[in-house]
Amino acid sequence: MKRTGMILSAIAVSALLISSCRKEPLNDMTEEESRIYVTNYNDTADFTSYKTFSIVDSVAVISNREDAKKELTAYDVKLLNSLKTSLQGRGYTLVDKGAKPDLAVNVSRIDNTTTSIGYDPGYWAGYPGYWDSGYWGYPGFDYWFPSYYSVFRTREKSVVVDLLDLKNAPHADNKLNAIWNAMLRGTGVWNSDNIESMVKAVIDQSAYLKASNN
Amino acid sequence: MKSIKVIILLMIGSLGVHSAFAQSRPPLSVNVNYSIAQPLGSLSDYAKNTSFRGWTAGINYAINDRLSVGGKVGYADFYERFPRAVYPGKGEDVSAVQTHTLQTIPILATVQYSFAKADARVIPYAGVGIGTANMNYEKYWGEFVEKENKWAFQVSPELGINIPFGKYSPVMLNANVQYNYAPYKLNEITNYSSIQANIGLKFHIQ
Repeated sequence: MKRTGMILSAIAVSALLISSCRKEPLNDMTEEESRIYVTNYNDTADFTSYKTFSIVDSVAVISNREDAKKELTAYDVKLLNSLKTSLQGRGYTLVDKGAKPDLAVNVSRIDNTTTSIGYDPGYWAGYPGYWDSGYWGYPGFDYWFPSYYSVFRTREKSVVVDLLDLKNAPHADNKLNAIWNAMLRGTGVWNSDNIESMVKAVIDQSAYLKASNN
Repeated sequence: MKSIKVIILLMIGSLGVHSAFAQSRPPLSVNVNYSIAQPLGSLSDYAKNTSFRGWTAGINYAINDRLSVGGKVGYADFYERFPRAVYPGKGEDVSAVQTHTLQTIPILATVQYSFAKADARVIPYAGVGIGTANMNYEKYWGEFVEKENKWAFQVSPELGINIPFGKYSPVMLNANVQYNYAPYKLNEITNYSSIQANIGLKFHIQ
């Protein structure tokens, strides 16, 4: 018993020594520093071949706790407007979804607060609440995403914007291909004060995303 | 019971050795040092800040008044935060504030050779440690961590001095400089190398 106690206290002391020596990165991290803005794109896509886009009229809320739903809060309105303005700034023309847009923009808020979900691009497309492909006039189509970046975290709120190729959808084997997507992750992504800087960041880092080369 | 036997044997043994070192200090010593480590090479590119959060602790047994063998453990914590930047990949771009950290815990077997006799006022020595090091790599993308913990072979040559507090005093001031090398590869780190200064006390206990 005495020996076990000594070993345990030795472990405790060394653990204390080690942990107290550690500079903990999260301790002095601001909300702005905590956020990451990830964009994925199909590197064979010619973004200038698309001229028009349409955006969903509300935001899909995908959660592992509650039933999925579509919402249009003040935050969502601001987010959708910011995306519209940004894409128009890159030369794309906003049209009604009935007017055969070249690109569809799906917007989702993801609330993972109890279990871990992988962050491979596109995983959310399989979740209840995500935009049905029928919304874009292609019922029964699957979504297809390029897959790259993933980092995992168990509790997180995030925002996802997917740009889907409607122009080539009739010849795409029952798939709506995502050619670009943006993930806003970290602390404060659901705070409307941060929308402008977050959207600006993902657009700025996607120089190829433009309707023409001029 | 077995351990008691071992202890008795050790005590008898150390008595014998003790008498052999009658005009010297007891052969078994422990030392505890505060460490400052400077990363070099690719480790410095990964996290360039000097580690002021470190320590080493060792145990040594003097075979004679020149040569001793033992072991040591230590700790260092490397850290650097990078301002927001866009990190491109294949078909992806990630905008993030990156925080790079690496914690290392070497566990080494050591040999030391003293350049002066035990009665000298200053005892310079050279040593080398060979063993393994636990490398805990944590790279934060914003608040999201990418981590990997693995072990690497490590070799650490060392040059130092022991300054006894009086002739044959069992307590000495220890100061040394050690170089650490480990063939450790992970992402941007192509090998682990650092130079480290240690200062502390060495106690000859029995």
